[in-house]
Amino acid sequence: MRLALYVTCLVDLMRPSVGFAALRLLEATGAEVIVPESQTCCGQPAWNAGNRPLAVDLAKKAIAELEGFDHVVIPSGSCADQIRNVYPQLLGDDPLWGPRVRGVAERTFELSQYLAEVAEGGFIAADFPGSVTYHDSCKGLRGLGIKRQPRELLHKACGLTLKEMPDCEECCGFGGAFSVKFGDVSTQIVDRKCDAIAAVGADSVVGGDLGCLINIEGRLRRRGDETTRVLHIAEVLAGGGDS
Amino acid sequence: MSGSKHSQAMHFHARAGEKLRNPILQGALRKAKPLFVGKRAKGVASLAEDGLDFDVLRSTAKNIRNRTLADLDAWLEIFEERAVATGAEVLWARDGAEVSRLVVDIARRHGVTKAVKSKSMLSEEALLNEALAAAGIRPVETDLGEYIVQLAGETPSHIIAPAVHKTIGEVEALFAREHGRPLETRTSADIPAMAQEARAVLREHFLSAGMGISGANFLIAETGSAALVTNEGNGRMVTTLPKVHVVITGIEKIVPTLEDFATLMRLLPRSATGQSISNYVSLLTGTKRDGDRDGPEKTIFILVDNGRAKLLGSDYQDMLRCIRCGACMNHCPVYFSLGGHAYGWVYPGPMGSVLTPLYTGIENAIDLPHASTGCNQCGAVCPVDIPLPTLMHRLREEQNERGLRPWPERLALKVWGWVAGKPALYRWLARRTARYLNWLADGSGRIRIFGLAPGWTAGRDLPVSSGLTFHELYSARKKT
Repeated sequence: MRLALYVTCLVDLMRPSVGFAALRLLEATGAEVIVPESQTCCGQPAWNAGNRPLAVDLAKKAIAELEGFDHVVIPSGSCADQIRNVYPQLLGDDPLWGPRVRGVAERTFELSQYLAEVAEGGFIAADFPGSVTYHDSCKGLRGLGIKRQPRELLHKACGLTLKEMPDCEECCGFGGAFSVKFGDVSTQIVDRKCDAIAAVGADSVVGGDLGCLINIEGRLRRRGDETTRVLHIAEVLAGGGDS
Repeated sequence: MSGSKHSQAMHFHARAGEKLRNPILQGALRKAKPLFVGKRAKGVASLAEDGLDFDVLRSTAKNIRNRTLADLDAWLEIFEERAVATGAEVLWARDGAEVSRLVVDIARRHGVTKAVKSKSMLSEEALLNEALAAAGIRPVETDLGEYIVQLAGETPSHIIAPAVHKTIGEVEALFAREHGRPLETRTSADIPAMAQEARAVLREHFLSAGMGISGANFLIAETGSAALVTNEGNGRMVTTLPKVHVVITGIEKIVPTLEDFATLMRLLPRSATGQSISNYVSLLTGTKRDGDRDGPEKTIFILVDNGRAKLLGSDYQDMLRCIRCGACMNHCPVYFSLGGHAYGWVYPGPMGSVLTPLYTGIENAIDLPHASTGCNQCGAVCPVDIPLPTLMHRLREEQNERGLRPWPERLALKVWGWVAGKPALYRWLARRTARYLNWLADGSGRIRIFGLAPGWTAGRDLPVSSGLTFHELYSARKKT
């Protein structure tokens, strides 16, 4: 079993520990995990900005890199959604690229989806003493149907209690460039998320998309919450995120 | 006057800031959101009691709407023929200005000096109230929310709850002024009394108006009827008491049969207010017949294009399925941060972010298609499965194709895209950026003011890593 780990541009730049945690979890399933060297970005920022030609170029680049693996795993719902759902829209009708794009798209999985549904070699979660609340990020939830998978995985972590926050399926207000273009609106939305987190009173907020997590952590800290930990699910399951 | 002339949609950004800083509005929105969301959830869940499934029903409803749109011209002709056969008159309007002209003409012809109105968003598109007032005809809104909004000299901020942005204190101040009585302290327990007060005032208007103006939730082709879905009863007064009844509605509101209407009615009230059925459902057919105790002597339909026909066969045709339930805005994080007025034209929320550019010009509403996190909470609840984020996306693309995006954004994207296509250069730049961010954080792990993205750090910190990228750490590890 040869797996490609697509770490995402955000993990590369902002939180490498998520990439290493994902790597450990995937290696523990017994798979051979390759990090394709030329990977940069799946092109989501271009697509969201409405720049189709650029999104197409980056999609082609990613497809070429990710072909030839049994599976592609991504620690991000929105990037996995881009490859699974958007790439076929961009290139599905192309006689040359269509079959290639569909081949990659159907073998691409978000990390928790992969570990819960696809991984053959089993999976052992590290101990995690404390309470967590899970934020369902939008593209994972509504684009890929990821809801029970991360919760199933978290339940395997010894010592972990899952407390559901109110409106866990509500958007955190990140939205990529939206968070910068409409920073004030985005802040207002994430403020409601922070209220929900405060209301549930968990030790950690956990999610599957680094963009959402940076947004939530940034607002929590600005509000003066220095104690609630904000973690990617890979970091929780792999036992801390040290690289 | 066409739509674009009164659209304020170009000022979305500035208005957004203003709305965020308005504590009264914010309080009203915070209160309303859980009510809307909770009611709709209950309403949809209650479908199971009738052995119905939301997804199945939604796909049936979508098919009904698609099938109708595929032969819209034919259904409209059938409607016209049947409506005329029942004694009604059918007029066609190309745009809002034509709507106003037709209504003013009808009013003049019948010597009308006052018109009572039931809720019609299309009359907002047409700026009909202004046109009537200018012609010396007094328009009186009779839907409670619309009445409040009219007293305040404002426009509706929500398509089914026009005054959702108003607090009870604000409404009390308007009522005291308009009804000529002293101001009182009000709580939510006083709402029925306040509604009663408005009712008493409106009753006089119903009885003295020469003309009733309503919208229509649907037009039914097989019977030539207008269907009206309301909760307050004012719709019945408006459509039966005055001698002349004018129905103004968009050409896309047509459904072929009563059966189709019944299917859509399983979804419309549930999606809007969570009700299994609204308090009143009226099917208005023709004029008062011999022996009828009430009803208009003259019924006139004005069927309006105002940008709709050109969406047929376009990338945006899906939008014409809309049945105006408001569920998209009720589940929108952006709408509930700002309220409807920030959107600058008749339709707020996700549906507005699609319709405003399409009806008033893409170049006149540049921000709206971007005023979305892409969360798809709207698309997930839409009872006719309109892919709202996809349509906003297509509008973003069209802005790019027409060179309407600001040049700094285009340049930044171009440079970023070029770099992202060159892995070695990308790696090097990522490393430099990681170092720079870490330097800005100055050992604290977070950046508090970031000049390159001030929109982010105005309200949030930017948590950063140790200054090393994943890929450089990974190659270092592979070497050891």
